[in-house]
Amino acid sequence: MNQSNTFWRVALLALPLSVFALIIIWPLLSSFYYGFTNWNGFSDNYDFVGFENFGKLFSDRLFMSAAINTIIWMAIAVVLPTVLGLSLALLIDSHVPGGPIFKTIFYLPICLSAVVVGQVWVWIYQPDWGLLNTIIEYVTNDRFNYAWLAKPDSALYSVIVAWSWQATGLSMVIYLAGLTAIPGDLLEVCELEGATTWQRIRHVILPLLTPATVVVVALSVINSLKGFDILYIMTGGGPFNSSDMLAMHMYNESFKKYLMGYGSAISVVLFLVALTIIRLCFKQLKKVDEIYG
Amino acid sequence: MADTATLGSTSDDYVAPKRFNPWPVVIFICLFTLAILFLAPTFGVLLSSVKTTRDIALGDLWAIPSSMYWGNYIEVLSNPAVHGYMLNTFLVAAPATAFSIGLGTLAGYVFSKLPFKGSDLVFLLVVSGMFFPPQVILIPLFRLFNLMGLIDTLWPMIIVHTALGIPICTLLMRNFFATVPNPLREAAILEGASEWQVLTKIALPISLPAIAVLATLQFTWIWNDFLWPLIFTQSDEKRTIMLGLVFMKGQYSVAWGIQGAMSLIASLPTLIVFLFFQRYFIKGMTMGAVKG
Repeated sequence: MNQSNTFWRVALLALPLSVFALIIIWPLLSSFYYGFTNWNGFSDNYDFVGFENFGKLFSDRLFMSAAINTIIWMAIAVVLPTVLGLSLALLIDSHVPGGPIFKTIFYLPICLSAVVVGQVWVWIYQPDWGLLNTIIEYVTNDRFNYAWLAKPDSALYSVIVAWSWQATGLSMVIYLAGLTAIPGDLLEVCELEGATTWQRIRHVILPLLTPATVVVVALSVINSLKGFDILYIMTGGGPFNSSDMLAMHMYNESFKKYLMGYGSAISVVLFLVALTIIRLCFKQLKKVDEIYG
Repeated sequence: MADTATLGSTSDDYVAPKRFNPWPVVIFICLFTLAILFLAPTFGVLLSSVKTTRDIALGDLWAIPSSMYWGNYIEVLSNPAVHGYMLNTFLVAAPATAFSIGLGTLAGYVFSKLPFKGSDLVFLLVVSGMFFPPQVILIPLFRLFNLMGLIDTLWPMIIVHTALGIPICTLLMRNFFATVPNPLREAAILEGASEWQVLTKIALPISLPAIAVLATLQFTWIWNDFLWPLIFTQSDEKRTIMLGLVFMKGQYSVAWGIQGAMSLIASLPTLIVFLFFQRYFIKGMTMGAVKG
């Protein structure tokens, strides 16, 4: 019996684990190795250069600005979709008529691709007839044609808003799932004890939603590290690298300038940052588990 | 228990004064306003796709058209390049969805029904694959597929999406198989069934909802992907729809109506999947996210 169990373990795991190892684990380790070389992506001859690539990161002005932009993106991406998603979830959860329809509307953008979302928002930001400027003109009754995506001051933030439009739906459903897990009689007790809606949200619902919050924040942070598609479509990192992000910078160095060694070093940094954040979040979730069972 | 009972009895004595409660109305108006704001971007594209370029250029992109103009759709749908893009995307998304679910099923079954020493650790390692930025494995994979002569074919995308789907598929299938009672498996094995028969005849039929969840999620993600086709394809014949959309945009740089029609046609498969399998889609999104 036990022997046959071992046979089936090996037989069933062989294929999935080898595909995973070959396409994910091995490339991951290779990236670390290439990060220490000056490989150009084509030639068979390349040298081991030690920490040169990693040292270069600190003097690379574009890397530094991409890193700062990534941090800005993370900060806003954590606050905006999280707060909006939580508010929407609380509003919808209050058994308002048409709740399921609202849920669908806010969730719909998630099934659109980043390419389509990017394109839609490029139109919204159009200087001449874009929705945003049209609304501003209507409200202020004055001519307004600011080029949101072509100005270094606003390009990054404009892309973040577009990204948040899509991300809000996901944090909303995660919060809605968290809300259904809160026992109804607990809330009834609060009501009978005379707690106001705000007190109920502040002292009962929010603490019980902590696991959902950790997940939403973790997803926002991780997704902002991955951030590439929508940026590529909307600004390509421009103007003058003002909206550049780490993932974009890595792509440019590797596939535009063919500095694959240097690009690998950037991806190693990306990986280490992602790993740290995931570990922090897991720790937080564990702590939450211990407190709330 | 006793607490709730006493509270229950006090509530009987307490008579709530009947007053008009304004909150549902306020909340409804809030949600309605936000919904309009949220729909505006998509609605704008929809509007532009049924207008002539001239109408749009005249500055009335956001006005309701007096008459519907279907020319943009006709132009996009009669473009043979678009047919190629759609076909390519389907040829990548369908097998990659099936393969990743298949592999996730095998692994999920072992982690759930045949755990071994250290299997939790292996499971964690596989699931952690969900979180790292895909850019990290881009360069070595580019080299691998280049050496294999597979650049500018559909194979790299099928292979990569199969592999990237393994973490979430394994996670969801393991969680679902955990709901299949163990005595059921043991009884079947005592009666002479093999592990494979337990998996295919007992566990899988029960797990169809989980497979529906995964199929909708995987198909949507793969259909919408942009990064991998950007790296692995070169010629126009091998492009997927999202890539085609970006490159055709240049061709029609000022034809906003055509761009709008193109975006909608490219989104149609995932919109249909979403509207029909919404329940599964949302379930998968939250499960995949929360359990991670």
